[in-house]
Parts: sequence; C-alpha cells; structure tokens
Amino acid sequence: MNLFGLMDTSGGAMQAERMRAEVVAANMANAETTHTAAGGPYKRQHVIFSASQGDPGFLDSLATASGAASAATGLQSSGLSGAGAVAPGVQITGVVEDTAPPLVRYDPGHPDAGPDGLVAYPDINPLTEMVDLMGATRAYGLNSSAVQAEKGMITAALEIAKS
Amino acid sequence: MELQIETRLSDQLTRYLDLATSQAKLTAANMANIDTPGYRAIGMDFEAEMRQAMDGVDQGKPPRPVRLKAVDGLIARPDGNNVSMDREGLNLAEAQLKFKTGVALLRQEYQRVMDAIHSDSK
Repeated sequence: MNLFGLMDTSGGAMQAERMRAEVVAANMANAETTHTAAGGPYKRQHVIFSASQGDPGFLDSLATASGAASAATGLQSSGLSGAGAVAPGVQITGVVEDTAPPLVRYDPGHPDAGPDGLVAYPDINPLTEMVDLMGATRAYGLNSSAVQAEKGMITAALEIAKS
Repeated sequence: MELQIETRLSDQLTRYLDLATSQAKLTAANMANIDTPGYRAIGMDFEAEMRQAMDGVDQGKPPRPVRLKAVDGLIARPDGNNVSMDREGLNLAEAQLKFKTGVALLRQEYQRVMDAIHSDSK
C-alpha cells in the first residue's frame, strides 16, 4: 500500500479543478469578445471530467470485488459493470465548445457588425460562470485538505523511525 | 519467554495500517471525482476487513486485497454522481486518526524492544 499514491489522486484532482477554474476565467474574460482567430464570436468552453484508470493494484482488488456475489450486485445496481468505471483519480477528457447560438445585438457602428448592423456576442452568463467557479474552488479546497491529511499520515509514519 | 522483535501485535498493526491507508485511498478517489458525472462513491467494510486480517495473521496468511463495494443510501445528483462531501470528509478524518493510532501503538511496540536492547547501558 503506497501512501504517496494518495497524493497523486488528490493532486491530480486539484490540477483538474484548477484547469476548470482557468476555463471559467477565460469564459468570463471573453464575455464580450466578438472577434476570434477562428472567426465569429468567442464560444463558451466546458471541461469534461472522467474517472481515470488509476493503478493496476486497485483495479485487481476491484475485480475481486466484482467476483463476490454481493458486491457485484451492489456495483451493478449502481451502474458500474466494468472495472474501468470506478477507479481512483479524475482526469480531464477534453475541453469542448458550447453549441449555443450567439447573442445578437444591434450596433451598426461596431467593426464586427454584419450588413444588417447586428453584432454576434458570446452567450456567456456571468451567473453560470460564477457558480461553476465556486464549485471548482470548493472542490479544490476539499482535495487540498485531503492532501493535508495525507501529509499528516506520512509524517506520522516517519515518527516510527524516530527513537 | 523469549523476546521477539516482530511480535504478533506488530503484525496486526501492520495490517491495521494497510487497511487505514486503503480507506484513505478510497476516500481520496471519491473526493477527486466529486464533479465527475455518473461517478458512484465506493467504500469498504472496515470492520469485516479487519476481522479477516486478524484471522489472516493468526493463520499466517499473506494479506489479501480489500473488497470494495458501492456505497448505498447516498443521494445522487441529477448528473448521476452520488459523492457526499460530508461523508468523505468524515471518512478521511477517521482514516487519518486510525492511521495515527496504529502508528502510535507500533512505535510503542518497537520502543519496548529498543528499551530491552539499551537496558544494560542505563
């Protein structure tokens, strides 16, 4: 059993949550961006989280769990048939663009206005972004307190060697 | 009676520490996936595992992997995730305390041997 593996799990989650917060920050920064390199207004970005594979030892014990009748039914009832469905750690599978249509405002003097005088603005709601940012902050804090706890455990284990 | 450096108690405490680490690991995994859609919290029956580990020590068997199980009775969010922050926070604190208890007891056990080694120099 490796205590440092715990820190990888929590550290990975902190990294993922920070990425999520960065994406929220980018969305809020570009709330009024009408011009991008790809053309058209900025599109709102989302991060997609998924449970990562984790270490093989953990999966082995999970396979043993699936073999036991009671545990297998428990896992199946919760929708976890494959061993890959539950594993330690989280990873970002990708950052995707929101498909919502842009908001259109009439502003004929704007350099990005169309011939009809309409300008396409990104559909970004500050409220949604703030809630997402709050979730990311809380989850980051939760995982950082887990790291703190793990550090405490490792320090305690080192105490054995002291006279 | 002869003095043993590796006592039965130290073997038992080793298994206890392993199980406390497993519990912390499961909690960390659940915490990491607090925002993963569709993720279900996983857990273990600490008492049952401990009982089995104690039998294992008495019979001289090597440690066996921990049996994991899905946690029942949690409220799932609309995205299918049922990780509860309170439960995980409590579990982590519990695992940490168990680990520290095990370490303190193990330390005491080794200290006794150390005292026996140094008994002539006092």
